[in-house]
Amino acid sequence: MAEADARGAMPSPAESLVSIAGVNLVYGLRGGAPVQALRDIDLAVAEGSFVSLIGPSGCGKSTLLRVIGDLLAPTAGTVGIAGRVPREARLKREIGFVFQEAALLEWRRIRDNIALPLELRGTPRAERLAKADALIRLVGLDGFQDAWPRQLSGGMRQRAAIARALSTDPRILLLDEPFGALDQITRDRLNMELARIHEITGVTVILVTHSIREAVLLSDRIVVMTPRPGRISRILDVDLPRPRSLGSRDDGRFDELVRIGNHELEKGYRDA
Amino acid sequence: MPSPAAPPAAAATASRFSWSEGTLARLWPPAVTFVVAVVAWQAMITAFAIPVYVLPAPADIWLAFANNPVPLLGHAGITLFEAIAGFLLGSLLGAVLGTVFAYFPVIARGFLPYIIAANTIPVVAVAPIIIIWFGHGLGSKVAVTTFLSFFPLALNMMKGLQSYDRTIMDVFHVAAANGPQRFFKMRLPSALPYVFVGLKLNVTFSVIGAIVAEFVQADKGLGFVIMTSYRTLAMPRLWAAMVMSALIGIVFFALIAAIERLALPWHSSHQDQA
Repeated sequence: MAEADARGAMPSPAESLVSIAGVNLVYGLRGGAPVQALRDIDLAVAEGSFVSLIGPSGCGKSTLLRVIGDLLAPTAGTVGIAGRVPREARLKREIGFVFQEAALLEWRRIRDNIALPLELRGTPRAERLAKADALIRLVGLDGFQDAWPRQLSGGMRQRAAIARALSTDPRILLLDEPFGALDQITRDRLNMELARIHEITGVTVILVTHSIREAVLLSDRIVVMTPRPGRISRILDVDLPRPRSLGSRDDGRFDELVRIGNHELEKGYRDA
Repeated sequence: MPSPAAPPAAAATASRFSWSEGTLARLWPPAVTFVVAVVAWQAMITAFAIPVYVLPAPADIWLAFANNPVPLLGHAGITLFEAIAGFLLGSLLGAVLGTVFAYFPVIARGFLPYIIAANTIPVVAVAPIIIIWFGHGLGSKVAVTTFLSFFPLALNMMKGLQSYDRTIMDVFHVAAANGPQRFFKMRLPSALPYVFVGLKLNVTFSVIGAIVAEFVQADKGLGFVIMTSYRTLAMPRLWAAMVMSALIGIVFFALIAAIERLALPWHSSHQDQA
């Protein structure tokens, strides 16, 4: 029955993995001035694509990501992930989520951290450890599977968090400013890792970021949001050739897209 | 493409070496202090002819024990039993109550003020009441010890279970973890450092509780020995009983610390640095 409900709530074209229709989210309805965090969000994310959500603080980009990941419920509107409501997609382990902090369990070695979602699902030990080892190679943490999280640098911790999010082979990977706390060189490096992982696995990615350059470098589409209330002001298509590399930034088109993106972003700041 | 960093295997080996060297480095200064203090003490007694009831010499204390060790060891065994039984009962009770408090804040708010108030009552004032309730046997001594060693773990368990990282909670939510999984794989491991803080406090309190209860009423145990030695001014025997009660506490504490080291390998390396 829930299945039928989910399908009923899915108004989008078939090729979209994520369809968001008329989503509103209002905080503080009981007591205090209500804050409209999201207003009338409509968005379709094609399967296998890389989409960035960008905007100034308070524009609701993280809120929107948490709605998609079933960490928040919208006040109105519908979200569909592969024909399911977010809750069902989450229970079917179709969502991977990476947060700003790596949020590793300090009492588990890296391999057991990465295998955690599989362990919670009840996957047999040998199978989940094999999967974890494959992911450790994918994210470039070879040799660190038996290390404690404490022994890893910030960038390596985020690699582990990405591997953990990929462990259940989710259809969608949600990233909430995962590289925000890293230095520029590490950040560039992890951006390229992310582009490579996206290409290899074909997973659909939604990335929340503050950086227009990061968004242009990685994305197929950039969703620019403005604050108070949080809404989509423009969607930019990034027509840079794939596969992307750090050299993609030398393309004249890169600078042009960054310029357009910055212009759009500044509007949001002006209104704020 | 992988970040340059020290290979973890080498890092682990290095930390294991520094651990054993660290143990030696930690142990020799107090050992030297002990030897120097005992020698100086013995020399002072001889030099100034201090009466034995004021301060017995280390040799007198040793002889009070070594001339007739079996009864003293028997008394120590009784006190040890009371301390361990009360420690286990109190800790278990504290862990359960702390868990209830962590999961049901309303219950915590309803009970905590009274528990904290009860915790401030001096144990010497409570012990006679408990002995009236539980009789003259070992049971009443265990009850006093339980009473003392229950608060620290209850409070630390509650604090520990509430100390989990909110983002890790989100990770468990996205991974569709159920309630027991959240408890056993996230909240309980997060709480363990706090649990060991509570357990270490309980070790000290359980020995105090046993001895105080024996002061109030007992016909055996180190507290009984201390009281009877005091009445007959058998000071070397009193000192011997005191040293034994201290040793019980130290060994017990070291045992818990060793268990902590085994249970929290990810945490103990961190403590060694501190």
